[in-house]
Amino acid sequence: MVFLFNIFYQFGDSLAFLLLAAIGLAVIFGMMKIINLAHGEFITVGAYGTVVSGKVFNLPLPIAMAFGVLVTIIFGLILEKFIIRYLYGRPLDSVVATWGISLIVSQSFLVIFGPSYEGLQTPMGNFQLGEFSYSEYRIFLIFSALFLLMLLYYLFMKTSFGTLARATIENPSISSSMGVDVKNIYTATFAIGAGLAGVTGALYAPTMTIVPSIGQAFIVSAFITVVTAGASPFVGLVPAAAFLGTVQTTVTFFYKSTIGLIAILCAVILIIRYLPNGFSGLILKKRSK
Amino acid sequence: MKTDFKKNKLQIFTFIVLGAIPLFVDSYYLDNISYFMCWTFISLGLAVIWGMGGILSFGQTAFFGLAGYGFSVISINFLGVAGVSLWSIVLALLLTGIFGLIVGYFLFYGGIYDVFVGIVTLAITLVLETFMQQTAGPEYTIGTARLNGFNGMQGMPTIGFENIPFGLVEGVTQYYFILILSIIVLISLYKFKNSRMGLIFLASKEDRERVSSLGHNVQKVQLIAFTIASVLAGISGILYTNWGGYITPDSMGLVSAALPVVYVAASGKKDFFSVFIGCIFFVWLSQTLAINGKQFAIIVMGLILVIATRFFPDGIILMLKNKLIEKVKWLQS
Repeated sequence: MVFLFNIFYQFGDSLAFLLLAAIGLAVIFGMMKIINLAHGEFITVGAYGTVVSGKVFNLPLPIAMAFGVLVTIIFGLILEKFIIRYLYGRPLDSVVATWGISLIVSQSFLVIFGPSYEGLQTPMGNFQLGEFSYSEYRIFLIFSALFLLMLLYYLFMKTSFGTLARATIENPSISSSMGVDVKNIYTATFAIGAGLAGVTGALYAPTMTIVPSIGQAFIVSAFITVVTAGASPFVGLVPAAAFLGTVQTTVTFFYKSTIGLIAILCAVILIIRYLPNGFSGLILKKRSK
Repeated sequence: MKTDFKKNKLQIFTFIVLGAIPLFVDSYYLDNISYFMCWTFISLGLAVIWGMGGILSFGQTAFFGLAGYGFSVISINFLGVAGVSLWSIVLALLLTGIFGLIVGYFLFYGGIYDVFVGIVTLAITLVLETFMQQTAGPEYTIGTARLNGFNGMQGMPTIGFENIPFGLVEGVTQYYFILILSIIVLISLYKFKNSRMGLIFLASKEDRERVSSLGHNVQKVQLIAFTIASVLAGISGILYTNWGGYITPDSMGLVSAALPVVYVAASGKKDFFSVFIGCIFFVWLSQTLAINGKQFAIIVMGLILVIATRFFPDGIILMLKNKLIEKVKWLQS
């Protein structure tokens, strides 16, 4: 029983990490096709926003987190207006610009806040099961990840804004001729993506050492999860993260964590080769039958 | 021959200047310039597949690292055997080429395109990095060569002939060795670009299906171009290993993987000569900024990249080159 729960806990931890790493990128890369190498830095902004506001203004954690997310949204809006806007339809050029942004942001944080910043305490307590102790906050992260994903699915698949956003990104010129304000839709969608990355940063801020390169921990996981999810990221994200999480937990359990990383990278290579539309392609195909 | 001279005045003039540099700078700075030029081959390879064929690979550093490690392992194992440093190069490049062929076959014959090529190649380079990082233990030994994990490998022989004056590839010899090699590579790449195969490859960037429905074997051409690029990346890897006398897993990490992409894009990916000059310029710039700008160096570098893509989508160096040819009458053909 304890053994089973232990495995569930490890798996859930890995699932939450993959989902939360990927959730903002699912919008910016999965939907908008911007290869955002600065995704990790969006998460960094969210984390610093939370921790700094929490420490300096002595805000309670939830409000500090909301502040962190708000800062990330504003950051995303500014970037979109001055840089990203000119890169739509040039996905490969977006690599260079976002790489530049990521250098600027991580180094600026290093200059302003120094090599590491005093972190917040992990909220909630621990609970005991057998001889092991588990963090309640980690369980909370798993459920928040799933909840955020449901929210995202609802927003982009069920609301009229979501329909407009998907139509605009599918074909901007036709949408524009139908009277859709294409520019604002793009800006809003990008800001949502940035905001979600900010949420990830805010949620993980109390659990990690706050360093300027904090976002780097997420970026590889984010890209491989979104790619595994496939063409329709909101449908495929959960199965993709579950699959990769299973592979990682299993391999790490039997060998060590570096081999676990190698295993999920290899799994992604095979998925791109044999399931080019990812898990969402598989699901949508089944559904249409 | 005469038209060749007329068309390429700028290129020829540049190489004459580069050829004269050892007369004017001290040996420390010459070694530095050799270091900048080490990176041109991996960038030129990327310019071939990305600039010509529209294939963005993040995995060039995998070939860079594989060649560096391959060269080290082979040459350390046969230390003392006659000419070891030379045929280790050949073997290491062969190994890199075969690996490039396998990866390319997997990609293009497996129907992987566009951004997915970038992700798969990035995954490959990260797998190699992660694997190499955890090889610190004595069980990871190939023959007499230990892989050494994070710290990387050392102790490989210098390329060249020990008993001939200036026979070892270091100092002035290293500079001219790299310079002449880069001239040969540049000329071969221009020849490739204008060959039948090069034209098919160029056309495949615009419309893959149309080119293949005209009866051309697009996948084969893509595979050949990818293999050429992987060998070029391997040349950089070996030259880098020889320059510093070491190779580390970092050379295959996320940061290293993005650097050639950045050099090529900021220089102008459609023009080999601009990539060659731009690569030297940007490696120099990042080094100079790192020495003089302290913690602001990386911020300045980032700003340059953002401004470059925002305002000069075709690349800064290519734009400057075109401006220069436009302004200076003598350079026009």
